[in-house]
Amino acid sequence: MAIRQLSVFIPNKPGKLAELTKLFFDEGFDIRAISVYDTADFGILRTVVSNPDKALATLAENGVVAKMSDVLAVNPEDRRGSLNEVFTILANEGISIEYVYSFVVEKGQDQYFVLQVGDIEKAEKALESHSVEVIRDI
Amino acid sequence: MIQTKIWSREETLDREQMRAIQLERLQKTVARVYENVPHYRKKFKDNGVEPGDIKTLEDLQKLPFTVKADFRDNYPFGLFSSPKKDLVRFHASSGTTGKPTVVGYTRKDMETWRELIARIVTMAGVTDEDVAQISFGFGLFTGAFGLQHGLEHVGAGVIPMSSGNTKKQIMIMQDFGTTALISTPSYALHMAEIAREMGIDPKNDLNLKWGLFGGEGSTEAMRKALNDEWGIFSTENYGMSELMGPGVAGECTALRGMHISEDHFIPEIINPDTGEVLGPGETGELVITTITKEALPIVRYRTKDITSLHYEKCDCGRTTVRMSKIQGRSDDMLILGGVNVFPSQIEEVLINTEGIGPHYQIKVFKKGHLDKIEIDVELVDANYLDSFKMLEELNRKVKANLRTVLGIDSIVNLVEPRSLQRFEGKAKRVIDMREEK
Repeated sequence: MAIRQLSVFIPNKPGKLAELTKLFFDEGFDIRAISVYDTADFGILRTVVSNPDKALATLAENGVVAKMSDVLAVNPEDRRGSLNEVFTILANEGISIEYVYSFVVEKGQDQYFVLQVGDIEKAEKALESHSVEVIRDI
Repeated sequence: MIQTKIWSREETLDREQMRAIQLERLQKTVARVYENVPHYRKKFKDNGVEPGDIKTLEDLQKLPFTVKADFRDNYPFGLFSSPKKDLVRFHASSGTTGKPTVVGYTRKDMETWRELIARIVTMAGVTDEDVAQISFGFGLFTGAFGLQHGLEHVGAGVIPMSSGNTKKQIMIMQDFGTTALISTPSYALHMAEIAREMGIDPKNDLNLKWGLFGGEGSTEAMRKALNDEWGIFSTENYGMSELMGPGVAGECTALRGMHISEDHFIPEIINPDTGEVLGPGETGELVITTITKEALPIVRYRTKDITSLHYEKCDCGRTTVRMSKIQGRSDDMLILGGVNVFPSQIEEVLINTEGIGPHYQIKVFKKGHLDKIEIDVELVDANYLDSFKMLEELNRKVKANLRTVLGIDSIVNLVEPRSLQRFEGKAKRVIDMREEK
């Protein structure tokens, strides 16, 4: 099973991000990973939280538009060129990458990468056959 | 198309016959108000016109308009052409501010009203086989009583239910076998919700066939929702108490606009800014002159409703002119760089665009010398969050749809659901910042 992320609609207004993180805090969800991309008018926040099902329900109750989707998460080895290998493997398999963000699970520990790719299952298999660690639970 | 009976011979007259009847009745009406109503006599004199000047139907354009304020200024009976003794009925509009608008009917007016309602309910599909539930409020409001008289006239069984007490409405509907519902479109949608809450499927557990909706404007999206919810064929009808109440116009089953009973009302379309009379098919403010009323004939009443008139013969066989669905009120109209825009047009676009909610807020402002319109709409479908491309595509789609309907470009902002203000009463969805001096 792949990692599940939540995509949340955020209008470009001051304080909107804080409103959301406060909601997560109040409801006791841990934010494992977060990334925000924006355009002039609105942003999409992508986040990996503990208990995504409950988080999605909480967001809906609070009138926040959010979508849950599977993403690929990998833990490349901590050495030069490892990320290049990940992308090369995917490229060789013809798997498209829509976006990437990274996060650290524990201070000084491994750095995980979250990728949205065209075919998650195929990507997982390809990476694992090249001994890249795929994260299936956070 | 569902075939229905045509109630009156007058609905199929050829244009020449109709115009002859209209001229004769117009001349009588103009003479009647000139003789009996000081307000009209003075206004006609101020405009240098007298009844003898009306020699053709086009001469109607020489006469001054009547506006809502004239009713208020002549409250309660100042515009009446009949002595009080001849009146058999009074009604009044709700009047959100100050004095209500009072209207009256002679015995002959009541017969005319009954006849005109019989026409509209017949063209909407109702016959003497039907059981009609009137869910308009009975009282000073013209809607409920008007429909009652006309429905009884065609022989339908009337349930004078009045509005409110929705659960009881549903129970009676089920127990009496109601086949026709008469209400406002928004109340009908609410009733369907309540029926579902009661465990009754409006479409399969009830006998409704016809919905006759009026009293407020509605959109094609609402019509579809009503038809789907109730399993009915719905039509809308038009009227206002100043002119008689319901019965001025009604939609036939061809759904090509609302037929105006032209042997009783002469419609015109004017440019709301200049008063200039516009041609067939052109959009502007509807002006109506009543030509058979005794108690309260009204000359060139500015309805404030924006529509257009279509004279081609209808598929239903009627030859009477059709008015298109009301596009808005002339007092709601925004003029953006010379283009007329109605909030109702924007609403229709938004309701028909998937992914966004029906609520909106409009801001109009000036950028340099140019008028700009900015519309906030709520994103409701989370599926668009997969990628910016999809969100931007949605934004582009809303803009393109608005452009098609309005003919101008607008700025569209997607905002969070439930972030726009909700209104219980009359919605204030337009902020015009150009007015600030």
